Amino acid sequence: MPEKIRIVVNEDRCYLCGGCAGVCPTLAIEVHSNGWEFFQDKCISCRICINTCPVGALSAEPLEVEG
Amino acid sequence: MKEMKYDVVVVGAGIAGPIVARNVAKAGYSVLLIDKKPAIGSPKQCAEGINMKVFDEYDIPYDKRFINREIYGAKLYSPSGYELELRYKEASGVILERKVFDKMLAYYAAKAGADVLARTEAQDVIRKEGKVVGITAKHENEPVEIYTNIIVAADGVESTIARKAGLNTYAPPHEFDSSYEYEMLIEGYDPDLIHLWFGNEVAPRGYVWVFPKDEDRANVGIGIASDHPETAKHYLDKWLEENKIQTKRILEVNVGVVPVGGFVKELAKDNVLVVGDAARQVNPMHGGGMAEAMGAGTIASKWIVKALEEENLSFLQNYTKEWWETDGKRLEKVLKVRHVTEKLTDEDLDLFIQILSGADAEKIAGGDYGEVIKALLKHPKVLMSKRRLSLLKELL
Repeated sequence: MPEKIRIVVNEDRCYLCGGCAGVCPTLAIEVHSNGWEFFQDKCISCRICINTCPVGALSAEPLEVEG
Repeated sequence: MKEMKYDVVVVGAGIAGPIVARNVAKAGYSVLLIDKKPAIGSPKQCAEGINMKVFDEYDIPYDKRFINREIYGAKLYSPSGYELELRYKEASGVILERKVFDKMLAYYAAKAGADVLARTEAQDVIRKEGKVVGITAKHENEPVEIYTNIIVAADGVESTIARKAGLNTYAPPHEFDSSYEYEMLIEGYDPDLIHLWFGNEVAPRGYVWVFPKDEDRANVGIGIASDHPETAKHYLDKWLEENKIQTKRILEVNVGVVPVGGFVKELAKDNVLVVGDAARQVNPMHGGGMAEAMGAGTIASKWIVKALEEENLSFLQNYTKEWWETDGKRLEKVLKVRHVTEKLTDEDLDLFIQILSGADAEKIAGGDYGEVIKALLKHPKVLMSKRRLSLLKELL
């Protein structure tokens, strides 16, 4: 099992291009005209969005899991 | 809550969306075209090059307001600096001003009778008894329910509405390119040609491009495999620095992700259709998708009109069938070429460009891959290499 993560955006780098939403296999990211939104419950920690971002605006933070 | 009712709702006013909206409106049906951006066409996510043929083929006016300049061919550069120039006597394409072009496409849709709403973001689909009957959207802070017979998801690479409606538009990360581009002042590149640089250190799996706008201005960009750990921006900045190109006069920074393979299999499900980038309908070799979006939009709109005329939504399935029999078949072949070219080493690229620059340029310029392969197979350095031979034979 990959480590469970939370995706965070660096808003100063992000262009809201929508690429991360496009490659996300589970619709865990939505890019609105006014902002970037992450849905933790849908994320499968695959990190595809992080690699894809053309400007490196996304990163992962470990998610604390109980037990 | 505000409610609306249309025969067809099109989500996304890029290239495919307005073409569908225009064609369906022309046939006399009510259409709403929405886009989340406050200004249709802005920001651009494109190098803006398009083939000359599309204007006739898709009934688009050749309007100087969105044509920056005519282009006469291309120049390819290998990693060690070998060059291959393909120049036609007549203009083979143009560099557009996408911000004007996209807005004009939406304008043509509106002129044909479609309603168009910018700054209107689709949020979800509305289902009743398991069937998709419309979408929820938001215009500024005002929620809207839009009821409709048919939904067209032309929502770009994000493909969010298509997927919320149950269409499977998933493609693995290797089937996307990450792109980064400056529109900037640049000199020293023939402004009648587009310029492309290849190499595994230059742009892994992709290329660097200079698409001229005016004599001294260009879209200077890069696409690399999206599963590459480094960013597209990193590689473009590195290339500009290595080539000592000044980056002090940057007019725009453009960013985006491009689907370059893995075309969506099922393009219509019940009353929902997916077109353009959302359907991954892009040329996998060069990452251009405007002509493909126009083609798919044209096929989709034909079957939407038929389904509405006959009051039978099962006609929408013919969109999937016709696209796969025509452009889908062609693009599958192009994808095969991409799968081979991405295995080429820098030495291969040097050798191939060197060989082709001495071959029958006119035939190669015709874009005939068969002629390219034939020319390559004549060369001893290809014939003597089992690996090169087997790569090329994959294409025959």
